[in-house]
Amino acid sequence: MLDQLGNGLLLGIIISVASVALSLLYGVTRIVNFAHGEIIALGAIATLFFSSPVDYRVLFLDKFSPLGLNFAFSCILAILVCGLFGGLLEVLLFRPLRKGEVGNIAVLVVTIGLSIFIRHLYLLFATGRVQNFPLELERRQTYLFFDMTPRNFNVLIAGIVVMSIVGLLLTYTRLGKAMRAVRDSEELSSISGINSDNIILFTWISSSMLAGLAGIFQAVINDVRWNMGFLILLLIFAGTVLGGIGTSFGAMVGGLLIGILVQVSVGLPFMEGHTEAKNAVALGIMILILLFRPQGIFGKKERIS
Amino acid sequence: MTEKISKRVIFAFVITSLSIYLVFVLNPDGALRILLNLLTFAGIYGLSAIGLNVHFGWTGLLNFGHASFMGVGAYVTLLLMPHAAGREGEVTSTGLPFLVALIIGIMSAALFGLLLGLPAIRLRGDYLAIVTIAAAEIFRLLVRDLESITGGVYGIINYTENFQQYRPMFIDKFSESNAFSPSQAWVCLAAWVSILLTVLFLKRLNNSPWGRALRAVREDEDAVRAMGKNAVWLKLQSFMLGAGIAGLSGVLLAFNYGSLETTVFVPLLTFYVWAIMILGGVGSITGPIFGSILFWVIISETDRLAYLLFENANGQQLAGVRFLLVGLLIMLLMIFRPSGLLGKKEELLLDVK
Repeated sequence: MLDQLGNGLLLGIIISVASVALSLLYGVTRIVNFAHGEIIALGAIATLFFSSPVDYRVLFLDKFSPLGLNFAFSCILAILVCGLFGGLLEVLLFRPLRKGEVGNIAVLVVTIGLSIFIRHLYLLFATGRVQNFPLELERRQTYLFFDMTPRNFNVLIAGIVVMSIVGLLLTYTRLGKAMRAVRDSEELSSISGINSDNIILFTWISSSMLAGLAGIFQAVINDVRWNMGFLILLLIFAGTVLGGIGTSFGAMVGGLLIGILVQVSVGLPFMEGHTEAKNAVALGIMILILLFRPQGIFGKKERIS
Repeated sequence: MTEKISKRVIFAFVITSLSIYLVFVLNPDGALRILLNLLTFAGIYGLSAIGLNVHFGWTGLLNFGHASFMGVGAYVTLLLMPHAAGREGEVTSTGLPFLVALIIGIMSAALFGLLLGLPAIRLRGDYLAIVTIAAAEIFRLLVRDLESITGGVYGIINYTENFQQYRPMFIDKFSESNAFSPSQAWVCLAAWVSILLTVLFLKRLNNSPWGRALRAVREDEDAVRAMGKNAVWLKLQSFMLGAGIAGLSGVLLAFNYGSLETTVFVPLLTFYVWAIMILGGVGSITGPIFGSILFWVIISETDRLAYLLFENANGQQLAGVRFLLVGLLIMLLMIFRPSGLLGKKEELLLDVK
């Protein structure tokens, strides 16, 4: 059980960081971004491309060789790439849609198309193989009650630190306040002199960077796959919804809870021999939450139906 | 107005015919066989898209779990008939006759629609999308997991004879002269007859008071309530109707494949059907038919193009190219032509209410 709790914390921290990113974007732009998973995968795939040894000949249809950079540097670079990608998406795709008064449902369908498109670009250029970062294997150690590798423990700590920083930035900086203002009312915030276009652009960039970080976490803990983002996307939705969509703190807690729930449910008596179905438990809980408390644990009550 | 619409029908007809002609141009050898394969899939997916259109086009329900409705129909029908399933291929030799099993299968799909609809209908558009896609994923995981019933990842086999035994003689003769697979020709015929019947049924329904009330729900739910209609029940009926149609198409899809595996009813199947519906025209009854043929011509010719473009890609990657295109198609259509070939822009529900 405690083992599962450790695994749950690790899965939880991935989902948590990704949920905060998703929730941030939803809060400010009202876009339910189905392509979120693909930005997560971009973080992992870009890191793989930057850090793999030059003679590593699996990626990119064998046409480009990896760069073989230092791993930490690769991670930072990959996160920047994700931010750039998110910014480009906003400027080239979503801003024109917003100005063209395209409805929310249409935008949602667009993000689904975008997700399928990008995901299969990865398949084409980054192969369908399961791959790993060029890191050495480590032995598990005991931290408090949990057994995990030092690297995974660092991921856990890093995740918590990053989310605390994000929370503080959102609450106390001018930018964070502006973001929350745009979330509450785009019109009113423009009247008070906030350039809502810039705020939304900044939201896309920061949300994508966070998503990229979540992808790197996921790849360090597990592995790199072309469809890794899509596999975890529904759990991220579950985490976001559980905490209350649009609230950052809620997404943090919700993500952690979902991760722990998924892993701990493996140890439940009726789940014996049914490990495949563990995600079904989390998704079922998400549906129940939406039915009985659609605003989530921490969300404000608003019209959902 | 009628003149404008009939012009669009002619346009759609011409485009679709041209695309079929393209198949003949690009495949000098064996074009007929490719066409049969393509039309079989087009028929099955088109039928499914017609069902989805009842949800999204008529009622404005954002359903992204369509694959699960198809799956429920297929699994219930197959499991009620003689079949073999699981790792050992355990044989179940007794079962219901095909038609009875089919009807129960379709009704189960509709019932699943009701089950999912009951809670989900109260949710706003984007939440409904998340719930339906999650429910479909739960269905898929359960099918994978409950191996003793559904055969799990090993799937179901030896069921096609239940349907093929009704194959009329003329299909065999016709197939022999064209080197077709007679079983596929029979599935193809069944799919297109189902489409014809469904379209006739829906056309009639659309002009009935029920159909008008349903469209009114999409336009203004409060007004419908004020007129004393039960908007929730109307939505639920629409959900069941669309799910039932999807169930039928799921059964046909299973019969088109010789064995049913868990990889059939995945989220990507839903997105295929979405692409077809948008391409054909949201809200149009006949639109998905044209959309489906056009879509499958594009898909089947993309496979060849991909083979030429990416010479050192493997099979999985080449198959990915068609999905890449599906994604692009959904995106571009939604941005530039959300009404598709035959849809009416003013009937589109694209904003969250």
